Amino acid sequence: MIQMCDVPRYKDVDMEEIKKMQAAHVLLNKVEYEPKQIKKGYTDKLLTIDVTDASIKISDIPAEVKEKFVGGKGYCLRYLWDATNPNTKWDSPENEIVMSSGPIAGITQYAGTGKMLVATISPLTGIPIDSNVGGFFGPYLKFSGFDALELKGQAEEDVIIVIDGNKGTIEIDKAPLEHLDAHLIGEELTAMYADDENDRKHVAVVCAGSAADHCDLSMLNFTFYDPRRGTVRLKQAGRGGIGRVFRHKKVKAIVCKYQGIKNDLNHVHDISIINKTGVKYHREMATQDPKQNNMRKIGTANTMKILNDYDILPTHNFKFGGTPNIHEMEPKVFIEQWLTQGAADGCWYGCSMACAKAADHFKLKTGPYAGNCVVVDGPEYETAAGVGPNCGITTPQVILEINFYCDTYGIDTISWGTTVAFLMECYENGILNKERTGGLELNFGNCDAALELLHLTAKNEGFGKIAGMGTHKQKEYFAQQGWGDMKFMNDIAMEQKGLEYSEYGSKESLAQQGGYGLTNKGPQHDEAWLIFMDQVNNQIPTFDDKAEALYYYPRFRTWFGLVGLCKLPWNDVVPENNSLTDEPAKVPEHVDNYLDLFYGVTGRRIDREELLVMSERVYNFQRIFNIRLGKGLRKHDAIPYRSVGPVTEEEYLSRQERYDGQLVEKVGYTKEQVEQMSLQEKMAATRTYREGEYEKLINAVYPKRGWTMNGVPKIEHLKKIGMDLPELIEIVEPLQNVEP
Amino acid sequence: MMLNDRPYPDWHEGLTIQGVIEHMNFTWPKLVTKVNGQLVWPEDYPNVVLAENDDLKIHHLLAGG
Amino acid sequence: MKRLIKDESKCIGCRSCEEACSKAYYKVADRDKSCIKINEKAEGGFEIKICTQCGICGQVCNTGVIQPNANGVHMLNKKECVGCLMCVGYCPEQVMVQDDSRSEPSKCTACGLCVKACPTGAIQIQDC
Repeated sequence: MIQMCDVPRYKDVDMEEIKKMQAAHVLLNKVEYEPKQIKKGYTDKLLTIDVTDASIKISDIPAEVKEKFVGGKGYCLRYLWDATNPNTKWDSPENEIVMSSGPIAGITQYAGTGKMLVATISPLTGIPIDSNVGGFFGPYLKFSGFDALELKGQAEEDVIIVIDGNKGTIEIDKAPLEHLDAHLIGEELTAMYADDENDRKHVAVVCAGSAADHCDLSMLNFTFYDPRRGTVRLKQAGRGGIGRVFRHKKVKAIVCKYQGIKNDLNHVHDISIINKTGVKYHREMATQDPKQNNMRKIGTANTMKILNDYDILPTHNFKFGGTPNIHEMEPKVFIEQWLTQGAADGCWYGCSMACAKAADHFKLKTGPYAGNCVVVDGPEYETAAGVGPNCGITTPQVILEINFYCDTYGIDTISWGTTVAFLMECYENGILNKERTGGLELNFGNCDAALELLHLTAKNEGFGKIAGMGTHKQKEYFAQQGWGDMKFMNDIAMEQKGLEYSEYGSKESLAQQGGYGLTNKGPQHDEAWLIFMDQVNNQIPTFDDKAEALYYYPRFRTWFGLVGLCKLPWNDVVPENNSLTDEPAKVPEHVDNYLDLFYGVTGRRIDREELLVMSERVYNFQRIFNIRLGKGLRKHDAIPYRSVGPVTEEEYLSRQERYDGQLVEKVGYTKEQVEQMSLQEKMAATRTYREGEYEKLINAVYPKRGWTMNGVPKIEHLKKIGMDLPELIEIVEPLQNVEP
Repeated sequence: MMLNDRPYPDWHEGLTIQGVIEHMNFTWPKLVTKVNGQLVWPEDYPNVVLAENDDLKIHHLLAGG
Repeated sequence: MKRLIKDESKCIGCRSCEEACSKAYYKVADRDKSCIKINEKAEGGFEIKICTQCGICGQVCNTGVIQPNANGVHMLNKKECVGCLMCVGYCPEQVMVQDDSRSEPSKCTACGLCVKACPTGAIQIQDC
């Protein structure tokens, strides 16, 4: 077991090299400004940077925007809408990357209060993607005087943007020499803009990675400096290809520097309530976490073994819910062999949950940095499951190596895991072969091939070019080449709206199928994670129950993104007496903590219902944004059959007792009839039944959400929630009576 | 006996809550357990013996980022 | 290593230690602002809660501003502290002080003022 106190500090960067890089910068524009002091969580200022002409503009955020959109994701979508039009594509110069943290972000007294929301029109989906990320950039941008930043245009050569919130300067420089890979440029810019070593924690960098120049699965890395290790750590705004947009604009990095962090930079309304709520939560974390999830020791990776036990861990491209090799990657393997223990790894100050785990001085075996000893952030559950068992890989060392390279190349580990799993199944089905992959033997579990494919994708070489397109475009390409049957690929490609699924097998939970399918941005579990409530607890047995959950949770969970909060502290640890409450699943005491924090910061008292309405406005805005861009109707909420039931005979046979049993218990056949049926007949009957259930689920969910049967928000509903903005009515009005 | 509103097929004399948890391989760390509506704390799982017509609920608290 | 040690059998519950401690930093007599706490035991007598210099506050601090000095006393660097209050929540003895008048919490520095204030010798400074 490796203890933090035994971890040697990382080797420092070569300051001579840094000086050379800085000397090569060419100033394009620099402005001085008076940083606006934050008042009750808001600066009410928007920073707009257009890299086409290196212009920098600071404007006011109107009170109406604040009222309807709150902050964070709300601001991101509002300004993205205003900047774009129905024909805007991801690579249009007017497409923006908008970032906003929200009013609560930046307080230090409560766990998970440093989140930044990022949105853009995605290269994978063609509609808005939003992703949330930790690290220091979100709070520092606000402390520097901005509630939101919009980045637009396209530069001719690589630029960096540097915001200094203490001096009140913003500059745009041509920056030709810095590396693209995140672990390098993160260190380089941190060292370059810090006065000395103690100053490095005041520098936050946003960057992508070398793959983002061509790979649609690319994300944004957000750094935070770890003074104990003496190195830069990375958190990711992972989903939907935001890094690709960033690099298409030729932005190499955005740096924000702010010195003087204290717990009341937000100049909150009532600090007492925030202090009390914070100490109460830290105390709970100290006493309850060791008994509950042990988030501080292992982070979200402890979920892996457990999900395997419940047949939910995606294995071999979501065919199965677990692997017999799970013991190779049990939490204790990671704890005892790889992850440093005893570190306080919060990605923002005050995070007692501290789920940001790291493997220290990890010696890389492959790729351009082979032989280097690096810090690997993670693995988080989604990463470990996706690049691990879903690809048939259960070797922790390989999972960590893939994790490191995905991060530094700027590739989203979730999309990468799901994409490679799809390619592996294609390979095993003859849709791909050695000739088509350029010699890669992409069988499930081939660690060497998985790593080689990752390196090829980063270099944009060989079959790596195909891998970098993402699952949606891959299946179209394979069909065009005549390599595979589109119907089969549609069944097994785990993508919807163009976005790859995150890592939960949903076959036995209809509610979770909806939790993935009935989302705005595509199948990410952050809106509704209902598997256990549904599949194991059987708490939401009827369509009406499931629909209610699919109405409540997306609204509740959206709120975190409006105000700048992380969701993990909400329910990854719970108060000791949580079981005694009416609805333990909602963790009522923590919800009340959030209401207190919102009041403490903004001075506005809201109740649980109002919290939901705040989210519902933004949620419907995003749905209509999708419709505006041609992808927000019922047909776009269809999901691949692999997420619903067994596509192949192999899958059916692996859980035959369950499927045969359900034909009797749920579908209505007699036991004798089932015994007489052929395997194909049983599979067809299962499919007809399960696909029908999903349609019935949609029929129950849309009315709850105030939508037509075609998935269009009704005007009367928009009026009811105070979101009947003219630009929204214009889009939904002609669709009010259109049948699906 | 019912488990989470579904018939529990493996009931036998002397079955405890702990026995059900082990049989079902419920390894999730945060369980809320009620017998006929009465909350049972984890330390009592090995002691509570279930009757044939008991209504047992073992709810897993959701998580998921 | 310098730290407080206690002998609860000698405590008479006069709370002079609490007063001395809170006055030292917060300039008021208020037991909520004291890094030593005297609690009445249900069975009679008094419980003395003191900082044992266990260092858990320093371990959970991701700002790294609580470090042991040459005497093994964990000192909080208020200038660099961001006031996250994790140390307060994690203190196993619950003797770190969070007060709304200050951005940073405070902790026992083994200064000995409480020892001087104690009329019975129930608390002592151990220096070994």
